[in-house]
Amino acid sequence: MNKFLVFLEQREGIIKKSSIDIWNSVQELAAVQGNSILSGILVGPADLHQVEGSLFGDGAIFYASDEKFRLYNPGNYVRLVADTMKRESCTSLFFADTALSRDLAPKLSVCLQASLLSGCSIFDAATACGSCGRSVYSGLARASFVPERSFRIYTIMSRATQSSSVSSAHPVVIPLDQCSYIDGEELFPVVRRIVMHQGRPDVAEAAIIIAGGRGMGDANSFELLEKIALLLGGAVGASRQAVDEGWRPHSEQIGQTGKTVAPALYVACGISGAVQHLAGIGSARTVVAINTDPYAPIFDVADYGIVGDVHVVLHALYDALHDFLKRQ
Amino acid sequence: MNIAVCICQVPDTASVIGFVDGKIDRSRVNEVMNPCDEYALEEAVCLKERFEGSIVTVFSVAPISAKEVLRKALAMGADRAVLVSNQVSDPFQTAQVLSSAMSMFYGGELPDLVFCGKHSTDFQNAQVPPMLAAMLGIPSVSGITALSASSERLKVEREIEGGIEYIETTYPALLSAEKGLNIPRKTSIRSVMEARKKTIEQLSVPPCENARVVMSSIEPLERKKICKFVSDEKELIRLLREERSLF
Repeated sequence: MNKFLVFLEQREGIIKKSSIDIWNSVQELAAVQGNSILSGILVGPADLHQVEGSLFGDGAIFYASDEKFRLYNPGNYVRLVADTMKRESCTSLFFADTALSRDLAPKLSVCLQASLLSGCSIFDAATACGSCGRSVYSGLARASFVPERSFRIYTIMSRATQSSSVSSAHPVVIPLDQCSYIDGEELFPVVRRIVMHQGRPDVAEAAIIIAGGRGMGDANSFELLEKIALLLGGAVGASRQAVDEGWRPHSEQIGQTGKTVAPALYVACGISGAVQHLAGIGSARTVVAINTDPYAPIFDVADYGIVGDVHVVLHALYDALHDFLKRQ
Repeated sequence: MNIAVCICQVPDTASVIGFVDGKIDRSRVNEVMNPCDEYALEEAVCLKERFEGSIVTVFSVAPISAKEVLRKALAMGADRAVLVSNQVSDPFQTAQVLSSAMSMFYGGELPDLVFCGKHSTDFQNAQVPPMLAAMLGIPSVSGITALSASSERLKVEREIEGGIEYIETTYPALLSAEKGLNIPRKTSIRSVMEARKKTIEQLSVPPCENARVVMSSIEPLERKKICKFVSDEKELIRLLREERSLF
């Protein structure tokens, strides 16, 4: 019997879509494998109605709804998750690959003496060896990693895909007894507050990314990318050069020293396609490149290309998209 | 204040990563200091300049060839450099060796602050910093982009998906540095010359537990796609819709 636990991450009371995707893919894995039980753990108060119908399959969701868990506190989170893992005799714990899980999972792995596999793009956790594969060395190589311990923790790169329904059953929510985790003493580090950027999806989570590089020429030209991103419900990304020029904030940087993204559509505008940049977009499903130089390396990894001045092409693309969406 | 900084070396981004018999061919790889570690070290040196009497010590678990990277750290302003020669094969072992090395170096005491880079650019696990903090039993924050330190408290910022977390913690603590925290200084010829005269201390700690994760295979990843060139934006939209089911 395999017992899997999926960490459902909430931010500001909203369960992250990436967590829901991981729940559904582990559910599929468990169904294929058979003889498996899947549970979830939701830490912090969250709107459960919002996920109704999107979490497939059955199983229990252990819910720690106390306000004290609303903001991430490593000390409290580690104790709660580790105790739940042990009490439910789970052997594998799954996270969506996020800023929170990259901090929490290593701490948990020390506490549980578990093998930790981070940033898995393909995983085979249901098999006895539980190996996972992902790209390394700026996407120049793919490596496979095998856990050596019986406790295993995975953080999984979310792909912008829709999981198919496994069953019509729905998970049951079981409140966790939280008293023992809530003490008067403040455990550092403490998150004092969160400030969210309003209005647009984050580049790490967006299904559509419109990214600009040095070829955009200046900061003002990114307005056009923002307009297109807004039209498509996507996010704006940037190459290192665009960030180093001060045209865009670091939080939008994609590549080796920035974020690794896996959108359904990635549009690279005025980005030549240096290896360091390509390192961040290896999992993008469809890549469109717009560049004046027909020999730019970005075209080698693109599915569709337009050779031309980015400003001219983007204006035309905006108008064409606008017309197209109006007709839908 | 005792400040420890963990650094590692990684292939520089222009290096050609070749493969021979299913293994990485390192002969054409030029190793440099991991970019995120430069932010970690810069922040440590800035604090040293503010808090008089502070000592910045860099630690690296690496083969002897990593001495050059440690010399660069000395040239950037570190006071002492420690090369730990234990062989390690996964982040858990690295963290454990670093933890033992610090315990040995500081005579069983904890340093006041430990800085690491958020992740190394080669494997991007980002596991060592939180693991090391857990082993040392100190609080930690991953991927900080701003730090304001008083003698009592540390206020830091870190980027999360779609926003910023404002976090407070106490000493001792471990902080891992993300791009945006600072701009690492350039080394001067003079500082490089002075770093040449300093000794790199070598340390060996008792062997650690078995690795918890083993890399079972590695192979080159072919990324090339066949690009379909289109001349018209409307055509592009049609193709994205029909061939890729987008929009």
